Amino acid sequence: MRRSFVSLLTAMTFLVIAVTGVLAFVRPFSMTIVGLHALMGFLFIGVVGFHLANNLRPLKRYLRSKWMWINLAVTAALTTAIAMQPQPVKALLGLSGNLGPALDRFELHDDGLTYQYTPAPHYKLTLSVRMGDAFDPADPPEFAIWIENSSFYHIRTLHRPESADNEASLPYWSFKVKEYEKAKLAAAAGVDVDAISGATKNSSFDPADYMLPVDPEEPMPYRILVEINQRGDANEAVDDQPSLIYSVEVDNSDPHAFQLLDLIGYPQLEEDEQPPQWAIYYVDQRFDSALELIDSALLTIDRDKPSD
Amino acid sequence: MKPHDAQPDRRNFLQHSLLGTAGASMALASTSHVTVAAEPDNQPTHEATISNHVDVLVVGGGTAGTIAAIQAGRTGAKTMLVERGSQLGGTMTTGGVAFPGLFDAWGKQVIAGIGWELVRESVELDGGELPNFAKVPQRHWQNQVYTNQFLYAILAEEKCHKAGVELAYYEFPQAAKRVADGWQVDCVGFGTQRRILCKQIIDCTGGAEVVGLLGFDRLREEVRQPGSMLFKIGEEHQPGREQVHRLYVHGADSSNSRTVTQANLTGRRSVLAKVRAEKKRLMHLQPETGFRESYRIVGETMVTVNDYTSGRQFDDAISNAFYPVDLHTKTGVRPKPLKPGTVPTIPLGALIPKGSRDLIVAGRCLCSDQLANSGLRVQASCMGMGQAAGVAASLAAQTGTTPMEVPLAEIHKVLREHGAIIPGKA
Repeated sequence: MRRSFVSLLTAMTFLVIAVTGVLAFVRPFSMTIVGLHALMGFLFIGVVGFHLANNLRPLKRYLRSKWMWINLAVTAALTTAIAMQPQPVKALLGLSGNLGPALDRFELHDDGLTYQYTPAPHYKLTLSVRMGDAFDPADPPEFAIWIENSSFYHIRTLHRPESADNEASLPYWSFKVKEYEKAKLAAAAGVDVDAISGATKNSSFDPADYMLPVDPEEPMPYRILVEINQRGDANEAVDDQPSLIYSVEVDNSDPHAFQLLDLIGYPQLEEDEQPPQWAIYYVDQRFDSALELIDSALLTIDRDKPSD
Repeated sequence: MKPHDAQPDRRNFLQHSLLGTAGASMALASTSHVTVAAEPDNQPTHEATISNHVDVLVVGGGTAGTIAAIQAGRTGAKTMLVERGSQLGGTMTTGGVAFPGLFDAWGKQVIAGIGWELVRESVELDGGELPNFAKVPQRHWQNQVYTNQFLYAILAEEKCHKAGVELAYYEFPQAAKRVADGWQVDCVGFGTQRRILCKQIIDCTGGAEVVGLLGFDRLREEVRQPGSMLFKIGEEHQPGREQVHRLYVHGADSSNSRTVTQANLTGRRSVLAKVRAEKKRLMHLQPETGFRESYRIVGETMVTVNDYTSGRQFDDAISNAFYPVDLHTKTGVRPKPLKPGTVPTIPLGALIPKGSRDLIVAGRCLCSDQLANSGLRVQASCMGMGQAAGVAASLAAQTGTTPMEVPLAEIHKVLREHGAIIPGKA
């Protein structure tokens, strides 16, 4: 293929990839920009093939030089550093306006866990759970963290347990997820489902819509829930204490920087309901060590004024 | 004090009246006939001037007053209940807010006693369902007990009758003054003038009307919370099973007959406009606006919003309360829930007008700031304080003292005997 045509095409496609890459970092997630970036990337790979074919001789010379090894070392070091995400890298990623996974971070420590979510540079949410006396790092409890809207619909799971037996271990969260999947299918089929397909304030699955409401006059309150369970924690009353659920409601029209999650109860199956449903009941005297799994769960929200 | 020394003819009159009321409700369906018993003194009804000597006079037969009167009667006080309307129950029955919340908090019952007995029996007789208090409600109002407002009113009358409480409907106090043995209260109704001599007054008027009549200080907000006009359009109303529709009546004020008239006119006009706009059939309309706010007393103790939200255990606590801080405004309402485990209490001092003797209030007019009052004013809490006021007033009448000086332990003992839950001991 003509050298001038391929070189110009390589440059042009690279330009598009570079611009969309910067936009994808700076601006909130956009399917148009990410789609353009990804598909133009594939085209770029093809064009680069022709470009290499046209420039095979100088390329061979580069590969034989000492710069080849220096380049390889620098690239490997940068890749490792970015993949490991040390603090400076996190800080850089924190500048992004993208809602991608890089801003949705979950970390387990010896004494608890931290979940961070930054839907916009001016809104940073951190959930810090400090484990209690009954927490055994050698046999840690299972837990799930999720967001619900004000109609109590599951919006998004922030942390899911690794166990395959979630339904038995964390029944309330499993029930909520199933309900959500069902509602999503119904919505896709065009069935009018409250809070999912209807033109309601709570029809979004994107947490950013709740944290950064488009209309500040009509914010959408939501709640964050944690279900935690230590399997087989028997006591005199029961063979296995049920899971416990903690919750906090966030309302951007009544902003608080710090909010503690409250213990709201344990799940119990209501078989009289058709179909059977899981409801939350207040804790009673059957619980002892289960109450000590979580020492405290603190939600911190930093809300700065959005920059114009 | 002699227990229940009402004249036999008066009691017969009450029994006949009750039978008449119950019968009248059946007559609609069965067209059977009932006859109201004649006035025992055989006076022409338009000229009747009646005198009563009682131990305890309860003014206002609403949520708190009904319970206060039944309790005073059950404690052995000769009790009279004067009510300006046509039935007992107030906001629950005439206003139609027939979901008296909240009796429970955080998985256990915190208010019981006579109010709960009446609500429970109304629900059971109606074949309704009581909520499971062990279950966490997703919203606070999900533990409301849907109550048949019509049954509640009749059962309340029956319980008053059994407790020996004399009822006077369509009457209200016009003048009150201190006399040697207590109070002289002059009431008027259409065709009726009544002079009541009593040892103790329990003011359950909602707006501390007797307290105002006696010249004690009262509080009133410049802008009061809206009232609610309850109605149902389009579909049949099922009392005791569901909430009805409601619209806010801004400026609603139950301070006097003129403001009440204005609120009712405004509410009904709005309902009519809604019916016309939606082109649906009007299936139900309450006869009166459900008011939220009026006067409150300046009491010996004021319950502040901090006392309320922190669940302060007052030294002289006589009853629990439970509800979110629930201030209704022009822009709607956003309830502020109480923190888990918090159960506010009501001190006896908040029911006593400052500097008064032989006078106690119960219900939403207790001494509290507006935000605390927005949570305290709900029916279960009013029932709890009504029962406590009934005990305090009847014991005071019995021992010749004033409610504030009745030993707290005595009040708690009698309350416990009558099924109430004492703060801190639920």
